[in-house]
Amino acid sequence: MSDVKIEGQVLGGYPRSRIVRRALRQYESGSYSLLDRERVLHSSALTVIGVQVGQGFPYVVDGMLDWHDIFRPYAEAWRNVTPTGLLRYFDNNFFYRIPLFTGEPEPTDPVLAPRVRSYAPIAEPSKLKVVIPGPVTFTLMSSNRTGVSDEELAEAIARLLAEEVSLAVEAGAGFVQIDEPILSDPKASKDHAALAAELSSMIASRAGGAKTMLSIYFYSPKPEVYEGVLETKVDYIMLDLVDAGGAALRLLERKGCPGHGVGLGVVNARNVYSDEYEAVKGLVEAAMKACQPEEVLLTTSTWLDLIPYKYSLRKTRLLGYYTHRIAGEMGALLALAGGE
Amino acid sequence: MPGYEVPRKFPTTVVGSYPKIGPADKAIKMRRSGEIGEEEFHRIARESIRMVVEDYLWAGVDILSDGEQTREDMVVYFAERMDGYREGDWVRVFDNVYFRKPVVVGRIGWRQPMILEDWEYARSVAQGRPVKLILTGPYTMLEWSFDLHYGDRRELILDLARALRREIDAALARGAEYVQVDEPALSTRPFREEAELLKEALDIVFRGVGAKRIVHICYGELERILPYILEYPVDQFDLEMKNSGFRLLPHLKEYGYDKEIGYGVIDVHSFQVESVEEVKEAIDRLMKADIVGPEKVYIDPDCGLKRLPREIAREKLRNMVEAARLAREEW
Repeated sequence: MSDVKIEGQVLGGYPRSRIVRRALRQYESGSYSLLDRERVLHSSALTVIGVQVGQGFPYVVDGMLDWHDIFRPYAEAWRNVTPTGLLRYFDNNFFYRIPLFTGEPEPTDPVLAPRVRSYAPIAEPSKLKVVIPGPVTFTLMSSNRTGVSDEELAEAIARLLAEEVSLAVEAGAGFVQIDEPILSDPKASKDHAALAAELSSMIASRAGGAKTMLSIYFYSPKPEVYEGVLETKVDYIMLDLVDAGGAALRLLERKGCPGHGVGLGVVNARNVYSDEYEAVKGLVEAAMKACQPEEVLLTTSTWLDLIPYKYSLRKTRLLGYYTHRIAGEMGALLALAGGE
Repeated sequence: MPGYEVPRKFPTTVVGSYPKIGPADKAIKMRRSGEIGEEEFHRIARESIRMVVEDYLWAGVDILSDGEQTREDMVVYFAERMDGYREGDWVRVFDNVYFRKPVVVGRIGWRQPMILEDWEYARSVAQGRPVKLILTGPYTMLEWSFDLHYGDRRELILDLARALRREIDAALARGAEYVQVDEPALSTRPFREEAELLKEALDIVFRGVGAKRIVHICYGELERILPYILEYPVDQFDLEMKNSGFRLLPHLKEYGYDKEIGYGVIDVHSFQVESVEEVKEAIDRLMKADIVGPEKVYIDPDCGLKRLPREIAREKLRNMVEAARLAREEW
């Protein structure tokens, strides 16, 4: 029996089912009440939570089915920020609305805590995971007309996100994921990595007893960027082993993952084919050989909301099945909801 | 049809898409629900195409497009009309707007003309001005589809290229003068191997084509792959410049760029209308960079205008055309 602990975890949001799409459309057109809309969202969130709980994942997401993009709930909730025109989201055929900051953002009602209160009791024995945009990604993908530098804006965003995290953990969240996909962009620099490490550490420090993870997906960060984020004080750092392929494995070989558990994005969340077991296992073995972590999270390569709904459920089941099988074959400790 | 002389210096053009106007949106929905067939669909959309062309003519654009009024999505439109694809399940494009991301389930093949009817209709109302034939390129088709058949990106992209070439050949037989292939997906993965994969496909798409051969690429970090794309078999790169602050110019200079350039001077993500002076300054900036002469420069927006309100799109084009006119006097 190996001392390594392995668990499975879906990285982020789920796509909307037909009934959710229709409910949101009808709400927007005025033919559905807010209550009708919330009822559909709630029941649909229960489905995606149930699929994850059924796989034994210790931490599950509510699917974020009502979020139009990762920035939107904050761009709508905070003062001095407005969602504006559309821009392509990395290399996906998906567009987000560019948040326009016209002054220092100010909080109104919390975004995460109320949903944690709604869904945490339903998720038992799993705990709820909350996912936030990393402050560097948030800043660099926004339009900054505040009159302050991007770094200062990122700090302001980080302060608000830290407060969000603190309230979410108080409400029952057991895991906090900070998404910094911008760090996989070829334009990302050592300075970006240093800022992300500093601000993510600050956010994670407000997570109380919850586990924390910095996730970088869509491609592999440059070596100097990865080296920079290794300073982040979080429990796990996640890399996308599907899209980044060999580049991410080479990073793990060269730089390791000192001081952290590692999140391995091994189930392709951007394609619909069923990932082959041997290929997934090969990635996990190569990564574990490269950096010899004590704790491993097997995850989807990114959020599941870039593929159709039925495939997102299939990928969740694959991730669960493969996690169990890999842990068994490697003689590793399998972490399951409600006990190991 | 009366002839139209495209200005020798700084001709103005568009990248392709225009806000949906007239009955196009409704026609797309009716076709999708099965209320109308393909023939009726294109017949209804003619009114929209005519309105788009009228807007271009009002603004004074030299080389036009059909505004892509029948294209709900740049990939889906072609996938629905090629062999080898099936309609996919719903995937989000933005907000609560979804499209059926196509799935490759068999060998890709060209069936019959896909865009020629709209293109020919646009030509018929363009008052003699040339109309570009605009296709979604093989790399973008590859990247923005799901593949359940090939399992090999190279094989798939080459078959896509062959299918698109059949469409181009049909257009050439009908007198196409400008053929543009849109590859927005390329700059999202700015890696040498990706650029080389597209080159192989473009060799199929463009080899021996007697019309002006254009590839449109936008956003992303194009400078990373510039050395690898300069050998593409095209006459013109149509590039987004305004949105990225003309960052690419020194790189073009460094690599001795000598093809024609479609020079993006209008930010299609901004509702703020660029002034004539602003656009003229952008043109001056290119000229001062001393990369290519004015006869190799085509002035156009960064990308398609489809996400803008119609009135803003019109005003942007109008100012762009006026700035090009002023530039012709100076350069």
